[in-house]
Amino acid sequence: MDTRTTPIIMRALLFTILLVAFAATAFAQSTTGTVSMSATVSKFVEINSGGAITLSGNSGGGVTTDGVVDNPLAASINLGELGPSNTNSFVTASVPLKLRSNAAYVLSMSATVTSTGSTSNKIVNTDVGFGLGSVTRSGTGVNTGGSDTNATSGDPTLAGNGSVNAGTGRYEYTAVKSNLSAFSASTTALNGAFILNAVPRSNTNGLTVPAIFAVKPQFYENGSTTVSVTFTVTAP
Amino acid sequence: MNLRFVISAIFLCVLIVCAATTISAQNFDISSGGQPTITGALGGSVSGSSSVLNNLVVTINFGEVSPANANSIVKVIVPIAIRSNAAYQVTVSLASSFSGNAQAVQSSDAGFGVGNLRSLGAGAKVCTRSGHIFYPPFNNDPANTVTINGSGRAAYQSSLANISGSTVILSGPRLTSGSVTRASDNGYAFDAIFAITPQFFAAGVSSATLTFTISAGPNVPC
Repeated sequence: MDTRTTPIIMRALLFTILLVAFAATAFAQSTTGTVSMSATVSKFVEINSGGAITLSGNSGGGVTTDGVVDNPLAASINLGELGPSNTNSFVTASVPLKLRSNAAYVLSMSATVTSTGSTSNKIVNTDVGFGLGSVTRSGTGVNTGGSDTNATSGDPTLAGNGSVNAGTGRYEYTAVKSNLSAFSASTTALNGAFILNAVPRSNTNGLTVPAIFAVKPQFYENGSTTVSVTFTVTAP
Repeated sequence: MNLRFVISAIFLCVLIVCAATTISAQNFDISSGGQPTITGALGGSVSGSSSVLNNLVVTINFGEVSPANANSIVKVIVPIAIRSNAAYQVTVSLASSFSGNAQAVQSSDAGFGVGNLRSLGAGAKVCTRSGHIFYPPFNNDPANTVTINGSGRAAYQSSLANISGSTVILSGPRLTSGSVTRASDNGYAFDAIFAITPQFFAAGVSSATLTFTISAGPNVPC
């Protein structure tokens, strides 16, 4: 083959390749296709009412706005008369809470106590006992093996959680985090492991715990008192 | 060497190859079957071509599937077009990245089904001696077959967990009347349907890739 024929052969080859490429393009086919997918799960927590509020030991008063299970917690309670005319040992309100999460949770609480009185004998935050009762994890889909840490001392009316101050004669809640003075700023009341396994939101189970508030009727300065409590659950 | 002889030989070879290919080839094609759609998503999306002339390349982002998504289900429909000049089958294989945490999204949490075979148009081959078969358990819309199992978790008639290796989901007789040139009317389309029920999954990100393949299937008559 001489040097003149090589370019001709190369052009013929190129032309052939172009023909084949054109044919391949014109009859484009693919025997495979792909579908790629992804999904995200973020940490999720919620707090709702765990049901109806129980008010006991009250003289007058009542539950103004009751809790409705699985609905947002927005309860209102009138504790009634807290002076000595109420002869019960304690006025107690038990507010059921329901927590749900797909991650470890922290339940915090903050509270304010405001009284119209002008002396130290008015009701103040140390006069309002507080504690979280027994934590219950039960029902289909609940992580029943998860543990919880109650930072409060439980039912504030328990004998071990308070007593009459020998010096002042005033009843005091003396146990750890047993009155609202411990929650003047947002403070952890309960924390624990994830609450629900992989179940739909329509599953209404969760962790329930009663928030117990108590006031011992005493010779408080007359007036009215407002207690405001905010619960917050987070997944740190 | 004679130049004319060389060129003639090259052309002869090419012609022989082309002729052989044309005569003997069973041709198959899979492509987009139309615009994919997504419903019930929170921050999700799906992208893919609306043209049946384009390759099947779909990306689904189911978005948030924790209870923060208050919808009962996130559903995605991916239309897929298929063409063939011979009996065919469609298989699917799965490559995935799911957490080892049993409470996280698993392959069984992604419902997957197929159905709704329809003609693309006049160029589709209508066969009367054999039918097109969607293989169980995939012959369902997973959004309509959700149940709650004993542990309270959502379950489906079929899910990504039912895909093992290359799994046949559809087969049937010839799909295309003429040659399997990719055109808008010369085959069939079906829907691949995906569904995830938002649940209290453990936090994290999951991903998977499905590969759909069309090839020669059971030799059924047209």
